[in-house]
Amino acid sequence: MIKKSCLTLFIVLVFQSCTVVKEYEKEKINDVDMKLAARTAEKYETTFQVYREAAAGANGGKSGGGCGCN
Amino acid sequence: MMNLSMKKYSTILFLFLFSCVYSQGTKQPTFKKRVLESTEVDFLASYYVQDGSKSSVSGGIGSEKLKDVASNITVAMPLNDDDVLTVDIGISAYSSASSSNINPFNSSGASGSSNYSGASGGGDDDDDDDDDDDDKRVNTKATTTGSGPYGSPWQASSGASKSDQLVSVMANYSHSSDSRNFIWNSDVSFSNEYDYTSVGFGGGIAALFNEKNTEINLKANVYLDQWRPIYPTELHEYSKYGNNFLNQGYFSGVTVYNENGISATEKYLPTKFKDLTLTNRNSYSASFGFSQILTKRLQLSLFFDVLQQQGLLSTPYHRIYFADKTNFFIGQSQFISNYESSSNSGVFKLADDVERLPNTRFKLPIGARLNYYISERLVLRTYYRYYSDDWNIHAHTASIELPVKISDKFTVFPTFRYYTQTASQYYAPYEKHLSTEQFYTSDPDLATFETKQIGFGVNYTDIFASAKIWQFGLKNVDFRFHQYERTDRLKASIATIAFKFIMQ
Repeated sequence: MIKKSCLTLFIVLVFQSCTVVKEYEKEKINDVDMKLAARTAEKYETTFQVYREAAAGANGGKSGGGCGCN
Repeated sequence: MMNLSMKKYSTILFLFLFSCVYSQGTKQPTFKKRVLESTEVDFLASYYVQDGSKSSVSGGIGSEKLKDVASNITVAMPLNDDDVLTVDIGISAYSSASSSNINPFNSSGASGSSNYSGASGGGDDDDDDDDDDDDKRVNTKATTTGSGPYGSPWQASSGASKSDQLVSVMANYSHSSDSRNFIWNSDVSFSNEYDYTSVGFGGGIAALFNEKNTEINLKANVYLDQWRPIYPTELHEYSKYGNNFLNQGYFSGVTVYNENGISATEKYLPTKFKDLTLTNRNSYSASFGFSQILTKRLQLSLFFDVLQQQGLLSTPYHRIYFADKTNFFIGQSQFISNYESSSNSGVFKLADDVERLPNTRFKLPIGARLNYYISERLVLRTYYRYYSDDWNIHAHTASIELPVKISDKFTVFPTFRYYTQTASQYYAPYEKHLSTEQFYTSDPDLATFETKQIGFGVNYTDIFASAKIWQFGLKNVDFRFHQYERTDRLKASIATIAFKFIMQ
């Protein structure tokens, strides 16, 4: 538990020290492959995974409802 | 314990976000850019196949063969400089050996034709014994002598439930502030299958800070779903006719065998089975997302969802066989001795009950994405998720994708995904549950297993969208192929192709 708390605090401190990247410096960050989301074409993969696995959610998409799956 | 640590982490995360937001301030952009320049159309199609040997419809044993063809069209339209309306329409059609065996008993053979619509076909699960309904059942019931009804959990039957279609529609409206640092959106959705309808609505907000280096978003959704339960044929008939059901309706005069393959003197009576009284399923979800640009090449996002489900969370046609109950069969008695083998092509075991699960479930998934721009040719995309729920399931998901730009227009990306979960406390394999238990399921999707998914994608992008169809230029084509393998021997493959068009 202590280890986990320390790790969380460490991550928080690391993030706090991040520098601000200006708009004109975001060429690499704005690359289409750098998008912080699942690809559009992953939609049906996610759907079958939701059917075949118990876990769902926390991927920026739908996390429940809309199908008879678990 | 879990809730306590979760609270602690949530507090730390909140404090971090709060300090992050207020320590660096916000700046207004010098000009207002249109949120979406022109109408975009995404067309998506996929083909999915799977096979396995633990069908939940047959109580955790039998063929899981399934094919699914799906397509989807998403149109995003700019309504003005700030507002975008997105409409998404999807349809998928599947055929499944597993669900075909809701009614496995075909008088003309497991794979032959049958006129009987039955519980699986007609879905007539109402209690009113109207004449039309009775006529249909009497006229089309299984023949009782000679080629009597038979089926097998290892083969698809010809029942109507062997296939189904899912239709879904979703509309989303989003508005961005003049500074583009605040966005709100709302959505409504509807989907329908033969035995399941879902209506959903929700909304969310997103705020960007630190010269758009930090983004926080909150989202809430409600899904109000409705089952129209379909029961395994033998249980449907029991429910309809009561204790004397073997002499009426579909099973009138049909020989029921015991484990030794002789006509059973002890009567098959699934007394544990009762019609489900609760048929709705409500899902309430809240999502919290945080994204941060860490360096010019590195960015990260965190997702935290809370999901509460209430209502009928079991599947009404998943059979259960109790270890402490006598076994009864219909079909060709010579196959009883090798019932659990795929060589069984002629006998089906009668269910003791359908799966029973609690009518609440609380899910807590936490996920993170970390993307790193290695070079002009190479990007690293990673994802991790930890999931837990109050059915005692704990799961880890990790995936990695390595897009390699092989030219200005083409990118290939190998991908690998690993997933592992512990079993639900309500799960036991085929014929391991006891009739004294309150909750039980033999659905292998709730068992302990690991999965590996490996595949690749090819992406074609033409930023000028020079190839045209009518007024639309083709901007992007994405093709993906993945193979999926579970440690319980379920195997699946999926191929997907996506096109993005831009109105010009």
